[in-house]
Amino acid sequence: MTTTIAIITGGLREPSSTRLLADRLEASVRTRLTAAGDMVDSSFVELRPLGRAIIDAMLSGFPTEPLEEAYGTVGGADGVIAVTPAFNASFSGLFKSFFDVLPEDTLADMPVLIGATGGTERHSLVLEHALRPMFSYLHAIVSPRGVYAATDDFGTRDSGAALGERIDRAAADYARLVQGCGPRIRRDSLTEEVAAMERLLQGDP
Amino acid sequence: MSGMQFGIFTVGDVTADPTTGRTPTEAERIRDTVAIALKAEEVGLDVFATGEHHNPPFVPSSPTTLLGFIAAMTERIILSTSTTLITTNDPVKIAEDFSVLQHLAGGRTDVMLGRGNTGPVYPWFGQDIRQAIPLTVEHYGLLRRLWREEVVDWEGKLRGPLQSFTLAPRPLDGIPPFVWHGSIRTPEIAELAAYYGDGFFANHIFWPASHTRTMVELYRKRFEHYGHGAPEAAIVGLGGQVFVRPSSQDAVRDFRPYFDNAPVYGHGPSLEEFTSLTPLTVGSPQQVIEKTLGFREYAGDYQRQLFLVDHAGLPLKTVLEQLDLLGEEVVPVLRKEFAVGRSPGAPDAPTHRSMLRAREAGAGPGEGGGPEQGPDEAPDGGTPRGAG
Repeated sequence: MTTTIAIITGGLREPSSTRLLADRLEASVRTRLTAAGDMVDSSFVELRPLGRAIIDAMLSGFPTEPLEEAYGTVGGADGVIAVTPAFNASFSGLFKSFFDVLPEDTLADMPVLIGATGGTERHSLVLEHALRPMFSYLHAIVSPRGVYAATDDFGTRDSGAALGERIDRAAADYARLVQGCGPRIRRDSLTEEVAAMERLLQGDP
Repeated sequence: MSGMQFGIFTVGDVTADPTTGRTPTEAERIRDTVAIALKAEEVGLDVFATGEHHNPPFVPSSPTTLLGFIAAMTERIILSTSTTLITTNDPVKIAEDFSVLQHLAGGRTDVMLGRGNTGPVYPWFGQDIRQAIPLTVEHYGLLRRLWREEVVDWEGKLRGPLQSFTLAPRPLDGIPPFVWHGSIRTPEIAELAAYYGDGFFANHIFWPASHTRTMVELYRKRFEHYGHGAPEAAIVGLGGQVFVRPSSQDAVRDFRPYFDNAPVYGHGPSLEEFTSLTPLTVGSPQQVIEKTLGFREYAGDYQRQLFLVDHAGLPLKTVLEQLDLLGEEVVPVLRKEFAVGRSPGAPDAPTHRSMLRAREAGAGPGEGGGPEQGPDEAPDGGTPRGAG
């Protein structure tokens, strides 16, 4: 079985610690799923190159091609790993904006692993007060353990090892969640809406 | 003849001209709208349609008043709406207003129904936007009966009941205005149009072609599903948006400030991006012709093409210049070219006269489709599926 994972990463710099964390989460999840006998097909959705497209979609109401492609990547996945830098005590505006324009129900029933990066550990609860509620609102199934990485975590060998452990534990939880959920059945909202309308027209709401 | 109608539809916005900073008064905007409609007839267009809005910065809150006035000053052009709000207007009042308009205009009227997507407007009319779809279904079901049945007893969930109600005046020649259902985004509206065998108008302007293709295909497929005829016999209309100058460089130069500041899409995608993604054409008559002819590649042979030409603060003089070019150089070519290779199964655009002829030829009550179409429903207004 092939499990498709979409990794959404909202880092702004190059190289980006957010991307670094996303890479490590992806690798760890891949290891876990592979060990369990799955093939893993992962695709990264970098938000920085989509910055203009995201704002354009917000203003015009429809996506341009690269953004539509990103919608397809996310909507077609069996699981999503979403990582953002912490800005001003929350996710970055660009990260939030992507989910603001993403078509409704794209993430419904989607297993999501959340991650965030920041300058200091003091922002680590951003996972719990910003990311988790948003994904819950979007009807995603948010994995219980997220990963927050501060600048220090990438510094010394000790702290790096501790981060590695947190990543592995989170990846283990998440891999079990993805496997438990199985291949995701994509909702066909067009057909659903038409069927609901047909019922209404026939006096059977 | 290509069997197609070409016309314009207006939103009726009062917007400052970004090149001068001047905002027209409401009185000016209304007078200009009339001048635009008269010009549309003068240059040989087939349809003028007005939007309906109940909040500033828009002026057309009473479309049949406007259309009645225009009807008195014109002879040929079809007067329509884009859209008439089936949710917040009472269906009885819609039936009355359009019946009177039909008589005044000698049958030169049809109507495009829409839901309206401005939440705060609903409570002003005692309604709730969360009920928009059920309101649409219930109100439209009633509207159909008011136009078709002499005496109506009706009870629904969202409006008070009617007992022994007779619409006065009855529709001209007993033929209700042809109904289009206008949609920007929602598949429900395509389904509604298909269910009743009415026309489906895709706004088209704010979405890439792929979306319009999906909606039109859905409508055609469901039109057949409900027994109204082959998919190509369905009645399709499309919006479009043009700014035309004899040379494309002038068109782009003159339109850019209006585009960049347009209330709906300004400050977003560039003019060039928007042009490549949506039906918007800013260019020479030839460019407008080429792009418009391309619409049928994804919509199939269709019946009505309406252009938006008068929004975002464009001054009257510029709008009238647009209409001159459309009438002289664009539409005559479109009529000729759209006729080439047009499927024999694609009906002509329905008019009061064609529906009258169809009825006289015994092809059914004449509503809900083109002249090619057989009887599509029972006289009691029920549908082929028996719902009423």
